[in-house]
Amino acid sequence: MKHFFWMALFAALTAVVFGAIAKGTSRDRVIYGLKVFGEFMFIGLALGWLLYFLPLK
Amino acid sequence: MASKEMNARSRVDTPTAAWLMGVAAWAVPGLGHLLQRRWLRGCLLGGAVWIMFLLGLSLGGHLFGVSSKDQGLSAMLQVLPMIANLGSGLLYVFCWLTNTGFVEKAQLVTSEYGDKFLLVAGLLNYLAMLDAFDIAAGRKK
Repeated sequence: MKHFFWMALFAALTAVVFGAIAKGTSRDRVIYGLKVFGEFMFIGLALGWLLYFLPLK
Repeated sequence: MASKEMNARSRVDTPTAAWLMGVAAWAVPGLGHLLQRRWLRGCLLGGAVWIMFLLGLSLGGHLFGVSSKDQGLSAMLQVLPMIANLGSGLLYVFCWLTNTGFVEKAQLVTSEYGDKFLLVAGLLNYLAMLDAFDIAAGRKK
């Protein structure tokens, strides 16, 4: 759970910066930031599950 | 030809203040925007970079630097992450002067998270620096 928390925090802070420097109206920026956050989380979880099935041990 | 002229004109038109804002934004995360009275954006950008940097250190992450011990390929491998870390501006310089955060703490479970937080804090500050420069140069609102 700790790992998930740090990943979510990383995604949130990065999304804040990406959203803040994006072009467009405030609404566009908020939507872009949320989209970036969602993409980080989705890709992180998807890669986590893919790696889970690899026989690395 | 036309693009060369445009480049030359844009170089001439860029005010000195824009370069200074860029330097300020690099040196202290968020300062470039705050000096231009972009309070919310400055707080968001600066806050995110500061939090990431400090969390990175507290998680046991380490900063990269090239020392005289590193030779050849080993030195080369240190350069790119060091450039990323350097993006944090005076935070990196302060840590370098006080020798804080340059020791690897691989025994900590979260040390790799810390490394990534520190690297990305620097890279995000480069983006913030370019944004502050563009605003000061009048290329962005």
